[in-house]
Amino acid sequence: MSYLTHASRAEAFNLDHERTSWHDETLWFVRQKRDKAVYAVPEFQELRNLASAIKDHTLSRLDEYLAQFEAAAQTNGVRVHWAADAAEHNAIVLDIIRARGATRVVKSKSMLTEECHLNPYLIKEGIEVIDTDLGERIIQMRDEPPSHIVLPAIHLKKEDVGATFFKHLGTAEGLTDPQQLTEAARQHLRAKFLAGEVALTGVNFAIAETGSVVVCTNEGNADLGVSLAPVHVASMGIEKLIPRLSDLGVFTRLLARSATGQPVTTYTSHYTKPMPGREMHIIIVDNERTQQLGRPDFRASLKCIRCGACMNTCPVYRRSGGHSYDFTVPGPIGSILSPNIDLKKHSTLPFASTLCGSCTDVCPVKIDIHVQLYKWRQIVSEANHLPTAKKIGLKFMGRLLASPTAFKLSGSFGRRALRLLPYGLTHNQTVNAWAIARELPEPPQQSFREWFAQQPQPAT
Amino acid sequence: MKVALFVPCYVDQFYPQVGIATYQLLGKLGVQAAFPAAQTCCGQPLANSGCEREALPIYKHFVDTFQDYDYTVVPSGSCVYHVQKHFDKLEQTPAVQHVRATTIDLIDFITNILEIKELPGSYPHKVGLHLSCHGQRGLHQANESEMTPVRDGQLRRLLAGLGGIELTELDRNDECCGFGGTFCVSEAAISGRMGHDRVQDHVRNGTQVLTGGDMSCLMHLQGIVRRQKLPLQVLHAAEILNGLTS
Amino acid sequence: MSTARDRILAAARANKPAETPLPTVPDFWGDNSLERFRTVLASIGGEVTRLASLDDLEATVHELWPDAKLIASPLFTPTLRIDQHTPTDVLADVDLAVLPVEFGVAENGAVWLPEANMLHRALPTVTQHLAFVLDQRQLVATMHQAYARLPDGPGGYGMFVAGPSKTADIEQSLVIGAHGARSLVVLVY
Repeated sequence: MSYLTHASRAEAFNLDHERTSWHDETLWFVRQKRDKAVYAVPEFQELRNLASAIKDHTLSRLDEYLAQFEAAAQTNGVRVHWAADAAEHNAIVLDIIRARGATRVVKSKSMLTEECHLNPYLIKEGIEVIDTDLGERIIQMRDEPPSHIVLPAIHLKKEDVGATFFKHLGTAEGLTDPQQLTEAARQHLRAKFLAGEVALTGVNFAIAETGSVVVCTNEGNADLGVSLAPVHVASMGIEKLIPRLSDLGVFTRLLARSATGQPVTTYTSHYTKPMPGREMHIIIVDNERTQQLGRPDFRASLKCIRCGACMNTCPVYRRSGGHSYDFTVPGPIGSILSPNIDLKKHSTLPFASTLCGSCTDVCPVKIDIHVQLYKWRQIVSEANHLPTAKKIGLKFMGRLLASPTAFKLSGSFGRRALRLLPYGLTHNQTVNAWAIARELPEPPQQSFREWFAQQPQPAT
Repeated sequence: MKVALFVPCYVDQFYPQVGIATYQLLGKLGVQAAFPAAQTCCGQPLANSGCEREALPIYKHFVDTFQDYDYTVVPSGSCVYHVQKHFDKLEQTPAVQHVRATTIDLIDFITNILEIKELPGSYPHKVGLHLSCHGQRGLHQANESEMTPVRDGQLRRLLAGLGGIELTELDRNDECCGFGGTFCVSEAAISGRMGHDRVQDHVRNGTQVLTGGDMSCLMHLQGIVRRQKLPLQVLHAAEILNGLTS
Repeated sequence: MSTARDRILAAARANKPAETPLPTVPDFWGDNSLERFRTVLASIGGEVTRLASLDDLEATVHELWPDAKLIASPLFTPTLRIDQHTPTDVLADVDLAVLPVEFGVAENGAVWLPEANMLHRALPTVTQHLAFVLDQRQLVATMHQAYARLPDGPGGYGMFVAGPSKTADIEQSLVIGAHGARSLVVLVY
């Protein structure tokens, strides 16, 4: 089976020059808000070091912290479930819903449930699942996947949202005012919250010592859903753990500043025990995470706290859009997570980067993202997932560059060819991708080494 | 001090004037650099494409060529970064360790080894400095906007000390230009768009001369400048510093 | 047959790296002034209003929210009584909740609201408008000191609330009043 490459999807995205500019500038604006918030905290770099070390430590004792967390949660009256993969996770959720005889589910943002494709599964089983985060609800109506993990509808303009709400919510045609559109969604979703029977949430942090899960939102949709519905189901990947409640001091200071430039999310909610007469479930999911834990070069990707800063700063993401990655988590972090899931399908993602390193420098938990991109490239190549022409060319280049004589000859040959061949051939865009946006360098008469050979050499 | 000059493969073939400027500038600063004729490439184009294994003979050849010098000076932070960072795949013999530790970018060499913080001369132009990612984020030759609002760095300081010069204040001080080695052809659309946006930042803010320490980024940006027939001159920093009249 | 739990724990055990130390987090004290708290809260859409004393609370509330009909609060005789058994359709009509908070955090404008202060878990987010009552001596500088104030854990349910509910999901345009409270005032005494 062949897959579309990131490059081909990115090229399609780029056909609309103005919209690409808009997308780039919108996300750059978020990056600038992040910068302002970061500069205002003198100890920010120290906090990054601490967060990285806490996560490293947690991964190094992950089995113990998972067991500690489970025991604490059970003591709190929470039912803890374990799911090895997406199918197990989805089946557990359905069982909980069915046991309650429920059909109406409200769900706050959870990249894990996106990863597990929970919504289509539940809908097929006759359950109404309503995404309650505004951005998520917009794309749910449009039947699109999120294009960003924090700003799921960032690829849409207000005109697009207006058209969607006109169709699905009956708002006035042509309405584009974000305030009025948000109000329409508030009214629509309030009815869903009030009628919700089961509330699903993701988890930002799970605290081993207390058995609590922490959910961070700005809209308040997680709290409204959970506190009105009789049943709360929180889905978490095994990597969400932190050892101590006090570690949240570090992570809550980093998360929102890195994500949107806010000093903290509006709601930082700690769910520890269900209300009397109600149910709280936590589903702990692996879905290939322990496999990634076993890869020394790539396990640091499990430290990710899903702030999205690497997307906002990535010059490639900003100009290619989240959908060009064709993976639940797009952008630089997605490009190091996805090859673990399906190397062949996602083989072009580690190459969707200039390795500029900005992702690594904004990462609040100091994941060496660009280093891992480089390392995944080696694995893609070793697994023979490079395009054949590219591979043959590179092998030839390797032999050439290890031989001074061959190198010298080919260089002067290439330069002369470039000088002598007609422009229409050297700049033909179907054979030379360089020439699509750029002129080739003007080949000089003489190479440096030819010049140097003519210089009078000092006595040695 | 025994200093070798490494001239990156594409500079040798397409931008000999940058190699010449580097060589002459070093001479003016009292360093008679050698140019070992056996040199080829650092291997980065292969390795960044995932063919690190195929690049190993190139790495070995690089080490063989430069192991006898105190410093190997390169007018390209990208090659230096590659040697320092990715030659970890070789067995770490004393020669390999030495070459990794002493392969150094030209501006870094001038600033930190020769300890020259100011060059005499004037350059009465509006100059836009392109920060190359490998030099900046990789080798820490300049501050990063991810960390601090203060725009500072080795080359910025050297340029700022020149008489009559005005440095362009860009909207985005250190965004990647989109060259990225083979990225420039494998992701040609994004690469071209990134380069376009970088060049437009310079145009918008009045750059007359676009410069930097890494010719690979500049080759890409120059290709865009020439395609769009923009009134910008693109020069490697060595060309500016070597051409100074005091 | 082994359970998913056993398999996940075994895989985590087998694949985890060599143990690294858990760092001690420094205190990172800072500015805990009311001025700082007020400035930051204003920047995220909330506001601080001074109360001369707690005795003025009820009068101040009616003065500041003259149109609020259904007001819930444990601090004075409310117009609507709420407890943890209050049904959803009653909760849905609350105009204003006036709730005591334990402390505020100057660096980010957040306040700590434990379950015991909420009357009902849904009240802080279902109410149309929200007022918190805060003793100005109970301000800490950063989140590190904030968590240090919770030695017995966060309780069954507890939240830091920083300003009114908001979203920027449509073109990054900030809109106050997404699903939770449309406005938030911290009444400081």
